[in-house]
Amino acid sequence: MAEKNKQAADPSAHEHEHGAGRYVLIWAALLVFTLTTVITGRMDLGGANLPLALIIATVKATLVVLFFMHLWDSEGINRLVFCVALLFVLVLIAGVFGDLLTRMPDALPTGRHAHTLEGGDMPTTPALNPHAE
Amino acid sequence: MSSSDAAVHGHGGHDEHASNPHLAHHFDSIATQNHASRLGMWLFLGTEVLLFAGLFLGYAVYRHFYHDTFRFASHTLNLTLGTINTIVLISSSFTVAMAYNMVKKGNNKAAAGLLVFTILCALAFLCIKAFEYQHKFVEGALPGKWFTFEEMKGMPGANMFFTVYFLTTGLHAFHVIVGMAILMWVLKKVIKGQVDPTYYIPVELGGLYWHLVDLVWIFLFPLLYLI
Repeated sequence: MAEKNKQAADPSAHEHEHGAGRYVLIWAALLVFTLTTVITGRMDLGGANLPLALIIATVKATLVVLFFMHLWDSEGINRLVFCVALLFVLVLIAGVFGDLLTRMPDALPTGRHAHTLEGGDMPTTPALNPHAE
Repeated sequence: MSSSDAAVHGHGGHDEHASNPHLAHHFDSIATQNHASRLGMWLFLGTEVLLFAGLFLGYAVYRHFYHDTFRFASHTLNLTLGTINTIVLISSSFTVAMAYNMVKKGNNKAAAGLLVFTILCALAFLCIKAFEYQHKFVEGALPGKWFTFEEMKGMPGANMFFTVYFLTTGLHAFHVIVGMAILMWVLKKVIKGQVDPTYYIPVELGGLYWHLVDLVWIFLFPLLYLI
């Protein structure tokens, strides 16, 4: 481990260097994914739109982090730091949505859309008709 | 710490402090120093991730409450301009990675050209963003009490979408401006020959910051413009 770190950090060690080819490849992949997400984003896939867009974004982000930001062949401690940051993002999301999804209906703001209601008997404003009273 | 001290701990009695002007006196070797620099940068990037995570979570909560409004609102944004900006940022991320590659190979001239291109991309991004903002101002698609957008009048949570839109893209645009300043500082070092294949940490860390700006946009773009 320590030996590997030393090599990766040592400017005179060329074992871990990569040519421009890898960067070009990642760039092309990112452009293809961008095009894909634009095309699929405006198609009506029902409930699949949101997960698909998030999956494509996560794949793009992973490519940037691993290869443009060199986390793939960086010192292990940097990977640890970044993963811990992501872990705390997950804790944040779990805490907030754990709260939101277990609330009593009347502890939620009024005027929200019907799917957040369990009984569905509370009047809500029609969503996609701006001219409704 | 004196340089004789470092020589004792150094490799094979070779004193790196005498031969490398970039090596600070409190580090044993340039390898240790680079390691520490990178770790510091990644710790900072970790805090940046958490900063934006808070805003993304705000988006998620309001989208959860007002999903139809958010869907409608995202379609009022200009997808063409958003897509162009995405391509601009991804390409600038690529050129900054190439600049790092060139400095490592000792080709500072090519690196300088790539950095200039990257900075121009940043400028183009900001111009397009300003054009979009201007359009929103005219329409009244604004946060809170300034919201007077006719097309979405009476829709619940409509002004929350634009609050989240301006907060996230505004903070991101601020990062683009800071990133431009950092890249100009890196460019100066490249032109003056202060970085070379034996010392390229400023290019590497400046590049990392720019990649983070790209990273944030990779998530902002689909969430705001597409779904």
